[in-house]
Amino acid sequence: MNHTADVIIIGGGIIGCASAYYLIKKGLSVIVLEGSSNIGDGGSSRNGGGVRQSGRDSRELPMVMWGIKNLWPNLSEELGTDVEYVQRGNLRLGKTKKHLDILQNLTDKAVACGLDVRMIDANEVRQINSYLSEEVIGASWCPTDGHANPMAATLAYYKKARELGAKFITGVEVKEIRKIKGKARQVVTQNKRYEGDKILVAAGHDSREILASIGIDVPIQVLKMECLVTEAEPYMFEQMLGTAEADFYGHQTKHGSFVFGGSTGMEAFEKDDGRPISTSIGASCICRGIMKYFPALSDAKIVRSWAGWIDECVDKIPVISPIQEVPGLYLACGFTGHGFGIAPGAAYNIAELMVEGGQPTVDMAAFRYDRFKAKI
Amino acid sequence: MNKENNRFQDIGEFIPEPDDNIIICRCEEITKGEIRAAVHDGMYTITEIRRYLRCGMGLCQGQTCSKLVKNIVTREQRISYSDLEPATSRAPVRPIEMKVLGNEIGGTR
Amino acid sequence: MKRYDLIIIGAGPSGLSSAIEAAKRGLSVAIFDENSRPGGQLFKQIHKFFGSKEHRAKIRGFHIGEQLLKEADEAGVIVRLSTTVIGIYKDKEMVVRTEDAVEHYKADTIIVATGATENMVTFDGWTLPGVVGAGAAQTMMNLYGIKPGNKIMMLGSGNVGLVVSFQLLQAGCEVVAVVDAAPEIGGYGVHAAKIARCGIPFYLSHTIVKAEGEDRVKRVVISEVDSSFKPIEGTEKYFEVDTICMAVGLSPMSQLLKMAGCKMEDNPIKGGQVPVCNKYGETSIPGIYAAGDVSGIEEASSAMIEGRMAGILAAHHLGYCNEKEKNEQLAVLDKNLDSLRQGMFAPKNKGKKIETTEEEIPVARNLLKKGFLTEEEVERFLRVSPGTGVHPVIECSQNIPCNPCQDSCPNHCIKIGEKITSLPVIDKDNKCTGCGICVASCPGQAIFLVNENFKEGFASVTLPYEFLPLPVKGAKGMALGRNGEPMCEAEVVEVKSVKFYDHTNLLMIKVPKDMALKARFFKADTVI
Repeated sequence: MNHTADVIIIGGGIIGCASAYYLIKKGLSVIVLEGSSNIGDGGSSRNGGGVRQSGRDSRELPMVMWGIKNLWPNLSEELGTDVEYVQRGNLRLGKTKKHLDILQNLTDKAVACGLDVRMIDANEVRQINSYLSEEVIGASWCPTDGHANPMAATLAYYKKARELGAKFITGVEVKEIRKIKGKARQVVTQNKRYEGDKILVAAGHDSREILASIGIDVPIQVLKMECLVTEAEPYMFEQMLGTAEADFYGHQTKHGSFVFGGSTGMEAFEKDDGRPISTSIGASCICRGIMKYFPALSDAKIVRSWAGWIDECVDKIPVISPIQEVPGLYLACGFTGHGFGIAPGAAYNIAELMVEGGQPTVDMAAFRYDRFKAKI
Repeated sequence: MNKENNRFQDIGEFIPEPDDNIIICRCEEITKGEIRAAVHDGMYTITEIRRYLRCGMGLCQGQTCSKLVKNIVTREQRISYSDLEPATSRAPVRPIEMKVLGNEIGGTR
Repeated sequence: MKRYDLIIIGAGPSGLSSAIEAAKRGLSVAIFDENSRPGGQLFKQIHKFFGSKEHRAKIRGFHIGEQLLKEADEAGVIVRLSTTVIGIYKDKEMVVRTEDAVEHYKADTIIVATGATENMVTFDGWTLPGVVGAGAAQTMMNLYGIKPGNKIMMLGSGNVGLVVSFQLLQAGCEVVAVVDAAPEIGGYGVHAAKIARCGIPFYLSHTIVKAEGEDRVKRVVISEVDSSFKPIEGTEKYFEVDTICMAVGLSPMSQLLKMAGCKMEDNPIKGGQVPVCNKYGETSIPGIYAAGDVSGIEEASSAMIEGRMAGILAAHHLGYCNEKEKNEQLAVLDKNLDSLRQGMFAPKNKGKKIETTEEEIPVARNLLKKGFLTEEEVERFLRVSPGTGVHPVIECSQNIPCNPCQDSCPNHCIKIGEKITSLPVIDKDNKCTGCGICVASCPGQAIFLVNENFKEGFASVTLPYEFLPLPVKGAKGMALGRNGEPMCEAEVVEVKSVKFYDHTNLLMIKVPKDMALKARFFKADTVI
């Protein structure tokens, strides 16, 4: 097999697979190197499936809005696989005045960016979703938000990119990125060297270690988040749900099961043995959180829980950027736990950027890798 | 632990077989043909097959179908049965109602 | 959060055995089992176990379960039933589910003894109601008193298939056939013989191609297979059944071990996903052990020994037992376990073609193909000529670790010796009194008392009988041969049901003299 390509992508999650897809469509040859034995084994297969604009940092809004307008609606058809995209709105729920203040703040900023989101009161909340408990006193409501199936979407991008000729290899341990005559060109693995005109690092929380080999660092910390899924339940509602304090988020899938994520609040201090597995208390905590909002789900059976690491960037938005000081190197990581919805947009634009002389459709200045400044 | 696995090796074409419509994963009603076709779509691992098709995601979490699925997938890739890593096992190992899981005794640090 | 010295997951034979071993050395032990009844698979096993005295041979499985429970109770073990361990987490913490809550526990050592689940094979129609696992059928019958069906086909001729087929007959079901794709019967010959003499045919080198029916199984189609197990066109056979039992192997239920982070391997000889462990059950995580079927599919007798080993290891790990004692005890148990893993069906002999027994007698091939010994094969193994009075005829032709017959005879007529896989030999010098204890004691129901000179022109055959209704003295009927075919008219001359026989009744039938070595089962005429 040839070890050279126009682009070497390190990371086979949704960012890596989607970038491979958009790049190969533009006529570039692509090799994708994935560390684990499965495509999309990181955050891509562990998240809550939200495809949302509301509740985001306003710096992310242009890209995610563009993606929801231009890419998501036709994605299933384009990729030939049902990614279960449902655009039926997003309720971000509040139970206290403090929650509502947080939501209002986010809403105001989003409105300023042109997003159709607004605050609604308890009555209107329950008109939209009658299963919510009396504890909810208000919410932000964004009708153009929605959800999809992250595993299906990641594998759909992979499948299509592979069909079009992108080469994927799993079980690859990337040891080093090397410069050849001033440009990042080589990726050294446990037993091979790959060479490309451009290299994209999209390896989630593993990106930092890989970038260290070429003298680049990004301020990311790794946090564990937990999720759970129920058995299939009769259809209840279509909206994506979240809360002001992120004590749970989730939706009912096409299959009928409910996927929910949440946290114990002690994530930053959890120890683990290197495996992304649930804590002994996480799932119980998420259940209590859910039942406060949805008493009707008390009898729903949980069939599985899991955990994943999010690569939390210091300012909570990703780095999607060429690395000027290392010509040929590009970075797309640090999605801080909300990379799924924005992934098609991010991948599309980074692919545009990586084409010779290319310009991204959406301005990516906010995502530059060298944006981080000390507080004073 | 991880063996390199390139996803563009030639595993031949998908050739329909007469028993493709037998259900393999009973919980999610996934057929043999769907599993075989998924391999040709690029799903080479049990975990990818599971995430792509849902086999092993039902109530029994693969207790009935995992060996069957593994046999089909390894045969389709023309590799030996032991070459494929089985799926991960996660809590809860039995389905449990939310109200029971949330009713915790002794869950402190 | 309560922290135990040892938490055991699973109150089956290995779990209970490990609990007893640890608790009697002073550890605080709790067992969690998801079932409402303890004993694991033991409580479904209504047949008598093989092995030797220290393996609790001759005792019915469920009695062994009762014994173990009593011992565990006496040792102060806390057995929590209907308590499901739903996950093992870091620091050996586990979350268990009780009826309406979850509880957290920690342990210094954990023994996972969760057993196994049944395998499935697929065929057209396998998802129809009426297709059940043999183990599931056994649970239905023996724990809940429900007949799995009326007309049943058994797929699989390993011990599970053979034993459950017999139990289905005992429950009043009709078993139309035992089918296996393999060319020879996989389980013990004596188990096969028990059902062959009741008339159940074996279809080896056959597989199920289709189960037909709308809302449940109504008919099954089997077909002969070639050497690559492909159905041979034109060899289809049809059976009207309402149930198909699958006895096609077990898979260890090792999810908890995997979740805990133990190094795992996919081992086909052990039945599937098992933790990588040494022969004493130590996994890759210090303080976590695996015992019983979860560490490799075997049987209850070996599970009990493995459980004891794990219990001792846990005790040693926590300082309740010193190095010397640990080594001594493990050596004894190892030897014990090894003695079970001998003979024709030993794991080390799996897949090998065995031509002769350890005594260099050519193996009885018809037994392996059809489930019964031919007369020639019986002669080959008898090795003793008939005397003038009553004498035992032991139709045991395979080297299996088993010796209750030796200990059972009060006159020491039966000898096996040190090596318990040896075939029993009848001591010509000692006199058989016809007490019948050997007949009742043989777990394989392979011993018959024969008296060729019972009466003028008649012989008597005393056979083991474990069916209801029990025929009465004077009952008339047909004597069946080893293959279940009616051989001659027979009359019951004596019925012995003694508590000591533990529900193996002795039926003495009177048959024409030349049937002495042919008549092996009795079917009463139906009386209106």
